[in-house]
Amino acid sequence: MSSPRSARPWLLRWPGLLLAMVVGLSYRGSEGDFSALFTPGARKTLADFARGFWPPAHSPEFLSLMLRPLLETVAIAVLGISLAVVLALPLSVLATSPFTLSPLANRVGPARRLAQGAARLVLNLMRSIPELIWALIFVRVVGLGPAAGVLAIGIGYAGVLGKVFAEIFESLPKYPAEGLAAVGASPLKTFIFGVLPESMPLLGSYTLYRFDCAIRASAILGLVGAGGLGLQLELSLKMFGYDEVAALVIALFLLVASVDLASGLVRRKLQQSSGLLRRSLAIRLAGVGSWLVACLAAGVFLRFPISELLSLEAAKSIGTFASAMFPPDLSPTFLASIGPAIVETLSISVLGTAIAAMLGMGLAYFVAAGHRRGEEAQRRGRGPTSRLWVNAASWVARAVLNLFRTLPELLWALLFIFVVGLGPFAGALALGMHTAGVLGRLYSEVLEEVPSGPSLALRGSGATSSGVAIFAVFPQAFPQLIAYTLYRWEVNIRASAILGVVGAGGLGKALLISLSLFQHHRTLTLIGVVVTIVAGVDLLSGWLRRRVQESGTHTEDGRAGEWAGPPAASATAW
Amino acid sequence: MKRWSSILLAAMGIAAPLVASAEDTLRVSAIPDESPTELQRKFAPLAAYLGKAIGMKVSFVPVSDYAATVEGLAAKKLDLVWYGGFTFVQARRRTGTANPIVQREEDAKFHSKFIVAESSKAKSLDDLKGANFAFGSVSSTSGHLMPRYFLLKSGIDPDKDFAKVAFSGAHDVTAKWVEAGKVDAGVLNESVLQKLIDEKKIDHAKVRVLWTTPPYFDYNWTVRGDLDPKLVEKLKKAFLALDYSNPEHKPILDLQRTHKFIPTSPENYKSIEEAAKSAGLIKD
Repeated sequence: MSSPRSARPWLLRWPGLLLAMVVGLSYRGSEGDFSALFTPGARKTLADFARGFWPPAHSPEFLSLMLRPLLETVAIAVLGISLAVVLALPLSVLATSPFTLSPLANRVGPARRLAQGAARLVLNLMRSIPELIWALIFVRVVGLGPAAGVLAIGIGYAGVLGKVFAEIFESLPKYPAEGLAAVGASPLKTFIFGVLPESMPLLGSYTLYRFDCAIRASAILGLVGAGGLGLQLELSLKMFGYDEVAALVIALFLLVASVDLASGLVRRKLQQSSGLLRRSLAIRLAGVGSWLVACLAAGVFLRFPISELLSLEAAKSIGTFASAMFPPDLSPTFLASIGPAIVETLSISVLGTAIAAMLGMGLAYFVAAGHRRGEEAQRRGRGPTSRLWVNAASWVARAVLNLFRTLPELLWALLFIFVVGLGPFAGALALGMHTAGVLGRLYSEVLEEVPSGPSLALRGSGATSSGVAIFAVFPQAFPQLIAYTLYRWEVNIRASAILGVVGAGGLGKALLISLSLFQHHRTLTLIGVVVTIVAGVDLLSGWLRRRVQESGTHTEDGRAGEWAGPPAASATAW
Repeated sequence: MKRWSSILLAAMGIAAPLVASAEDTLRVSAIPDESPTELQRKFAPLAAYLGKAIGMKVSFVPVSDYAATVEGLAAKKLDLVWYGGFTFVQARRRTGTANPIVQREEDAKFHSKFIVAESSKAKSLDDLKGANFAFGSVSSTSGHLMPRYFLLKSGIDPDKDFAKVAFSGAHDVTAKWVEAGKVDAGVLNESVLQKLIDEKKIDHAKVRVLWTTPPYFDYNWTVRGDLDPKLVEKLKKAFLALDYSNPEHKPILDLQRTHKFIPTSPENYKSIEEAAKSAGLIKD
């Protein structure tokens, strides 16, 4: 697979150098200035934060103020992800390779090809536009409140779910579908009886996984008036009510952690239920049933105006809004004015990801070290006391990672704006913190799963623990680490396009301005730009990932592991 | 999982009494030029008063987005909204019928104040060139539109002459940012600045006023164009009947930071519309 080295331009022969240059340029492009973190002003702000956070606000009045937005956040996520599944299923069937559904055909009609292409395009569009942008739009189309949040999550997540669902359908064993097709079943029947039953546990598991993310997303949609906890958090932050911020963050943390735990349990149950055994069917039925009940409860709680949304009037208002956006504003003055914002957006995404990679690696090292030492001590039959300190470091690192991850980028950005001032650097730092939490967890999983043979051999010959890490652990894990980092870059480019909404640089500011001033033609241009950038980064990152995986020692054992295993699934998702 | 759904069901039960049908309720909102909790605090006594005067329930819909109040009025999801001059113009252009009924006496001669840190060397607007500058919300009249208009008039183009332009989102946040040195200068409405100083939320020793704009028409209470005329008349009468010498009315008016409401009409906002056009914030 490896191409001759001389065929590559010199720059590509030195990926490390190229990376350094890109990160360096991004540092400049996002007005990076690490010293800004240590100015007296910044130190004072940080000290104020630290002092203000404790004790968290706990007056009954504030706690009761918090309860409804908290429940609203969950309810929006439940309805949003349900809408996403409803939208994603048909689209994903259309987007699946035609040969999966008619495995015996040797040709496919142009209409089916066209349908597949269209479905993929729609899914890509839904996925490329960040939820917050969907929310900004829906707040104007369907009015304030949770309905806009539900629609934003529904559409944004339908794009992701649809893509992954299609991949799941394509990667399943083909025998049932082939068997059905051989006895003359239509593609639809082949799907319903040959593909769907086998894929149900995986679909459910991945959807539940995304539910965690939907909760976090729903928590920030309040920033733009789409209901949930975000509004309260923004207010408290902007008005320097740090004790309230602390209480809200703790609440969000507990919420996300408990949902994480619950969905982990359910996912394990789902994975055990396979085939058409009666027990599995019962489990699935119970799952779907309680989900429906949850939807109903959420709908009633939010007073979800479903008849209003399905009314002619709503269709008309969506129609007017959409048609008011055409044609996009392509005047040279406007395009020139958003040029710098595009550079900023790209820079924020690269620098943020780089910061996250460094920070995440450091923390993951401690997490994994605790894990390794634990295993080793167990093997040698040592008592628990000798590994106490490693365990402690590991737990602290784990807790820090969880905390980093709990706060979405936008809320980190609100914090950093006060520390380093407005602008893209605050955005890059914010992205770095949140992503460090995500990447750190993934990195630590990779490091823990590295085969222990080489490390044991090195250790046996007397290597120090850092020696083992450098020469035995990292080389084995490298391709996977890079792959995860690149995945995150793809996610981060979407995030950096919206950070400007709170003043942290990039295209978000222009977007907010155009929406506030009802300049719909410009909004459309900006959305087009975001979609283009996101698509470009996806392509580039996908290409890079393939290169790394080819050159690495790591071999993919079947595509199934790509999306179904928890590590890979979390990479695309967080 | 079952337990979880039963928790949600219980939550539903808690929420049920909050449900009120739309017909017998006047839905009121305000542009979020101050923090929504502050707006709710300000509005509570006025809501009670208006409710009694018109014989209907009055509910306040908190909002975090200016433009959404415009869409809310257009979509008939709001009946009465406290708009800034510019948002009123946007609402009028959007609906054609949005109807301003009253405003505070101060709103007919409103000003914005440009503020800097006490230690700043700036003596005039010209000295702000190259500074980091904070407007309030993009949609704000006194925090963005009119200041931008007057800056342009004095030969300063905010998009070119300032090093960085930020939108803090609200007047009180702008003041906080200037006080904390997060930006070199900012602009906000005079009435909020006065309140922040009076309530000691801003340290008077740390912030000084650099320049005050000429007067212009700003805030008003606007009803949606197709609201029952009888109801509109009752609302107008109720607002105009507020009397500062009446001990029951005084706290209501104090919270609105005024002594008196006066009638207003769409014509008063022609000059705001012109300013928005010349500042490039709206097009024909």
